[in-house]
Amino acid sequence: MRMHNFLKLFKGEMVRLVKYNILQVSFAVTVLWLLVIFLIGKEQAPVFVPLFIFMDAAVMTIMLIGAGLFYEKQENTIKTLMITPSGYAAILSSKLLAAVYLALQSTVIISVFAYFLFDVAVRFVALYGFIIIITLAHASIGYVFAARAKDFNGLIAMVGMYMVLFAFPSIFFALGALPETFDYLLFISPTHASLRLVNYGFAESVPLWQLGLGFLYLVVLTVVLMVFMVAPKYAETAIRE
Amino acid sequence: MNKVFSVRDLRFTYPKSEIEAVQGISFDVHEGEVFGLLGPSGAGKSTTQKILTKLFRSYQGTILYNGKDLSDYRNDYYEDIGVGFELPVHFSKLTGLENMQFFAQLYKQRTAIEPLLEQVGLLEDKDRLVATYSKGMKMRLNFVRAMLNKPKVLFLDEVTNGLDPKNARILKDQIRTFKEAGGTVFLSTHLMNDVEELCDRVAFIRGGKIVETSTPRALKIKHGQRSVTVEYYENNHTQAETFDLDGLADNAAFLRLLKEKKIETMHSGETSLDEIFIKVTGVSAHEDA
Ligand SMILES: Nc1ncnc2c1ncn2[C@@H]1O[C@H](COP(=O)(O)OP(=O)(O)OP(=O)(O)O)[C@@H](O)[C@H]1O
Ligand SMILES: [Mg+2]
Repeated sequence: MRMHNFLKLFKGEMVRLVKYNILQVSFAVTVLWLLVIFLIGKEQAPVFVPLFIFMDAAVMTIMLIGAGLFYEKQENTIKTLMITPSGYAAILSSKLLAAVYLALQSTVIISVFAYFLFDVAVRFVALYGFIIIITLAHASIGYVFAARAKDFNGLIAMVGMYMVLFAFPSIFFALGALPETFDYLLFISPTHASLRLVNYGFAESVPLWQLGLGFLYLVVLTVVLMVFMVAPKYAETAIRE
Repeated sequence: MNKVFSVRDLRFTYPKSEIEAVQGISFDVHEGEVFGLLGPSGAGKSTTQKILTKLFRSYQGTILYNGKDLSDYRNDYYEDIGVGFELPVHFSKLTGLENMQFFAQLYKQRTAIEPLLEQVGLLEDKDRLVATYSKGMKMRLNFVRAMLNKPKVLFLDEVTNGLDPKNARILKDQIRTFKEAGGTVFLSTHLMNDVEELCDRVAFIRGGKIVETSTPRALKIKHGQRSVTVEYYENNHTQAETFDLDGLADNAAFLRLLKEKKIETMHSGETSLDEIFIKVTGVSAHEDA
């Protein structure tokens, strides 16, 4: 991987986030979350803020990566990037880093807002660290989905399935609607691992083994998906017309 | 002559496809020449270009680039080549210049962008969003994109497609200039015109197979009839007569025509490349296979 090309590619991604209004839309969504937090009030804020942040880093990232891939395929710009001396590793990493930036931006805004205005307890360093790996894992999932989906609607359907199968159970669990035993069952789910990490970031007491395992699970998932599924198929996915 | 590419028994099948898109083709591309890959729609031209530019890596057969296996080259291969795609390849919400600047910075060797834009008549539009460009402007920008890194080898897929004659002329002149400066060109097209004007050698491809490799001139001689047809005006209408090219200078009937009749047209019977295209590939150049 060429480091200087990676930085240029990342800068290009950031410029395009602005030119294609993605940064602005992401910011608007964050403001929307803030409004919702304002409406639900101090009492409920500690329960819901982690959920919003989780949704942003998980579901929004899948959508961003998936939609981005479809859009770039339409503009044929991936092809012309792939015939530069950059290498797929640098190209993919630059996109992952841009996704991380977006997720961090919302997380920082929401967490600071919640901490100062709604007295929500936050472990800032842990939260931001965990958001990075959560975003990376979901960006990888986004690529896997986009490679399998025929078009954007197909992608939306897959995200829907993913929500029903993985995200909703974790959210219900977080809201206390499911019995304790689900904590173990759900641990094979990336969303559950993510949610537990976010919970810890909001000063909930999470057993150390859960933190370790959850973190490890997301790291392994990211590496396995990126190295064995996304990167080898990237050219094929990106060029397919 | 130095071989830039040496391709032997190249085969490629798209994933989930039953038939091979490229079915065992072999050819050489020599240094400093314009090599044309000519064939009807769906013949496998773009597929071949994508393999040679390492976008598709799971092919069978061998490809040597400057004598070394193409798969042994790393990313540095891309410093050497410029690729002009069949369809526009730009970020629509960036300006033409912003697009070119973004791609140019990824290469070690770069050329000044604005003179290139000027040469293809896009300098005035450099600060407009590509979304507002016409198809022909986007295709000219594609060419600029291909030239950004001062390539040694230029791949061009249907460069003149969708361009008006004036803009097609501009690009053809650019290609000729590139060749005169020592560059090698791999050109895919279904347009006879391009081949006739630009190519030193041409391979006809059809259904994933190369059916004939030759020079435009040799093809004409081989497939053409050596004759001349003279149209002349007589008795209030046009008449035509055909003569053998051999021994024409001593052909009394022909000479008499020239002296005595009002000649309207005179055409030598080397078959046009358009006709050869149909003859060799069995398909008309503009009809879909
Ligand atoms: N992504 C793909 N998946 C499956 N088959 C494909 C794909 N792309 C092309 N093909 C098939 O491969 C064959 C060669 O296609 P290719 O695009 O190389 O043709 P071409 O000569 O460039 O045609 P054109 O002049 O229309 O651009 C065609 O039969 C086409 O249907
Ligand atoms: Mg083509």
